[in-house]
Amino acid sequence: MRQFFVITWWEFIRHFKSRSFLLSTFISPLVFAAVMLIPTLYIEDSSINRLKIIGCMEFDTTGICRNIRQRFTELNADSPLQSFIQLITIRTDTSVSMKNRFNLTRRLKLQLDSLDNNYNRIKERRKFVFQKPAGTSREQELKVTYDELLQIRETRDLAELDYRRNKQETDSLWRIETIRYADGLLQSSKMEGYLLIDQINFSEGIIEFHSLLPSNFLQIDPVKQAVQVVVVEQRLKEEGLRVDKIREWLEPLVFREIQMQGEDKQEFNFLINYLGPIIIVLFLFISIFTSSGFLFSGVLKEKSNRVIELLLSSVSYTQLVAGKIIGLGLLGIFQILIWFGLTLILASLNILNTSEITFLTFGNAGLFLLYFVLGYLYFASIFVGIGSLFSHEEDAHHLNQFMRLLSIFPIVLAVLVLDSPNSLLVRILSFIPPLTPTFMILRIPLGSPPVEDYYISVGIMIISILLGIVLAGRLFKVGSLLYGKNPTFREIISIAFKRQ
Amino acid sequence: MNIQIQEISKIFKELTVADRISFNVEPGKVVGLLGPNGAGKTTTIRMILDILKPDSGQIIFDGQPINRQIRNRIGYLPEERGLYQKFQVMDVIWYFGRLKNLPKRKSHIEAIRLLDAFKMIDYVEEPIGHLSKGTQQKLQFLVCLIHNPDILIMDEPMAGLDPINQQIIRAKILQLRDEGKTILLSTHQLLEAENLCDYFVLIDHGKVVLQGTLPQIQKSYDQNMMVVETKQDPGLLKGIAGIRKMELRDSALYLLLDKNAQVKEIMQKIIQKVDVSRLEVHKPSLHDIFMQTIKGAQ
Repeated sequence: MRQFFVITWWEFIRHFKSRSFLLSTFISPLVFAAVMLIPTLYIEDSSINRLKIIGCMEFDTTGICRNIRQRFTELNADSPLQSFIQLITIRTDTSVSMKNRFNLTRRLKLQLDSLDNNYNRIKERRKFVFQKPAGTSREQELKVTYDELLQIRETRDLAELDYRRNKQETDSLWRIETIRYADGLLQSSKMEGYLLIDQINFSEGIIEFHSLLPSNFLQIDPVKQAVQVVVVEQRLKEEGLRVDKIREWLEPLVFREIQMQGEDKQEFNFLINYLGPIIIVLFLFISIFTSSGFLFSGVLKEKSNRVIELLLSSVSYTQLVAGKIIGLGLLGIFQILIWFGLTLILASLNILNTSEITFLTFGNAGLFLLYFVLGYLYFASIFVGIGSLFSHEEDAHHLNQFMRLLSIFPIVLAVLVLDSPNSLLVRILSFIPPLTPTFMILRIPLGSPPVEDYYISVGIMIISILLGIVLAGRLFKVGSLLYGKNPTFREIISIAFKRQ
Repeated sequence: MNIQIQEISKIFKELTVADRISFNVEPGKVVGLLGPNGAGKTTTIRMILDILKPDSGQIIFDGQPINRQIRNRIGYLPEERGLYQKFQVMDVIWYFGRLKNLPKRKSHIEAIRLLDAFKMIDYVEEPIGHLSKGTQQKLQFLVCLIHNPDILIMDEPMAGLDPINQQIIRAKILQLRDEGKTILLSTHQLLEAENLCDYFVLIDHGKVVLQGTLPQIQKSYDQNMMVVETKQDPGLLKGIAGIRKMELRDSALYLLLDKNAQVKEIMQKIIQKVDVSRLEVHKPSLHDIFMQTIKGAQ
């Protein structure tokens, strides 16, 4: 028994002191956290440091850009969005050439209006003359005003034609100039995108958004929401509804998301309640595969340098394998305790708010540890058996890669658990040994599995581990002294299942 | 401690790697296990160490089969060596001492004592991977002595060592023998075996083909040899009755005679055929016997 403890201690301490352990304990989680957090931080950082300017340009619409800006500010009053999306109205009617054109159009309009007035005045006068008693002077006056009317109508028609032609030209030029100007702002990265609103499209409910970067199309939703509100507002106004009522009706709703967890209910937090369990599973898997990976490579190295013979001349196969498995299992638990300790330190420094992680109760932590131990013992027995069959690390490289790939498989399937933690499919998959630890660890915080699922899954794991240890023991006994050619798959099966 | 290997056999798949092997290893004696590659030496050693179980036969240590106490009294030096390369010398020796049931402190003290005795004390904190190959070999030898074993089993103890370290190990083995340890070593180096071993067991194809002390083996190997030195063509000696084989080694011609050949008659015939500067009856060395026995068996 003493030799078993010596091996356990040796395996623990020699791997604890190794660089790989330090890497997997401190660097791997950091890399992993970085992979998960960098996109979020990047978005937050870009939202702080990179103010997004969204332009708005309107043609033949009255102040819609101003309304959109106003509604966007109101709708996002409490949101950080407001600080990084700024809506501006794009105007090009201040350029000299455009000013001249607008002046000309305005002049033509004034001229047209003046002619209209004259025309109407003559018409009024004729109405007045017509009401006078019949006589020569009345007939004379009617004839004179009729000639004036004809003359002014012709002049007015010509002026209107002139005005319309000019206005069309000015509008077209204005639109081209404005879009060119806005595109220039996009190209020079002075603006992230712009809304283009014109009367015809707007009346059909179409608004264009122009941008260079694909990501801007994904981030335009809050602006779209403001536009939507303005459009609905305008339509309701056109239907004759009261403005104050419209405002009241269009007040944005506050959604409170309450998640039921067993008997309790709590506010849903995406990061904690959705990503949290995945992070825990990933950490436990890092630990399981660090320890069983050490076991695999340790057996291989000891076999390739014949230390295994030296060990077997001192201890029995059972003591050696058990000592290794337990020693490295303790290392895995120690690794988890280090992470737990770091979490407590971060919590005490107020960097991490653990009070929000409500699923991390002592009961659940115990269950996580139980499934960690079961998962580790299961994979360790497989690794120790297979590791002993190869003489050199290079030979086992491909198999090792394959095993690691297999280990990722349960994490890929984790989406199923996140989607529906207690569905029939997930429950069945939870009873398949390689998936059991992952699935159960995920299900505990997400869906409070039925009690019988705990019993069945633990029972299945214990049977699988016992079977795995028996088969691994057989493989190890033969494989640890087998040198030269690697055994074929058929030979492995024959060694494992041959009646002893 | 006396070891009796009694009719042990081992079959892997359909290949008999050990076939009713029997011999004894007595305290105060060095027994050499000799044989070509694949003869079954390592399998025999593994069965003695209880790493492999014999399919039949038994191995008795002072009248009892191997148990934990006996296992802790065995020191083993495997053929191909390698220790934990990243670990310090002291840690590794200490670990193997602990595996042999030495208490923590005793294991530490013994490690220092041995390192000092082998003039390796300066390497105490050195990672094993930093040591030369020869020093690592010596260290492994030291590891098998950490618990002061009564039985020493060594597979090719001199392999890979330079002449100086070979001399150190040889002296240590002889010292241990004189202290009454039971020593079994397997080797390919027959000259080395002649110098070290008191008893020889020659194995081929899993069978013991010869065993005994050197004089016993030489006596049982009742074939004589002659050495002839002549400046004339050795081919002139062909056809002399009683000469089975001729072999030129350096400038001398070694003649292997038939079992019942008349030495005197053959000598006379040789003198008649060529002028000789040297002609003598040669006692076959272990090497000769080994070669002839193995070739004969093949």
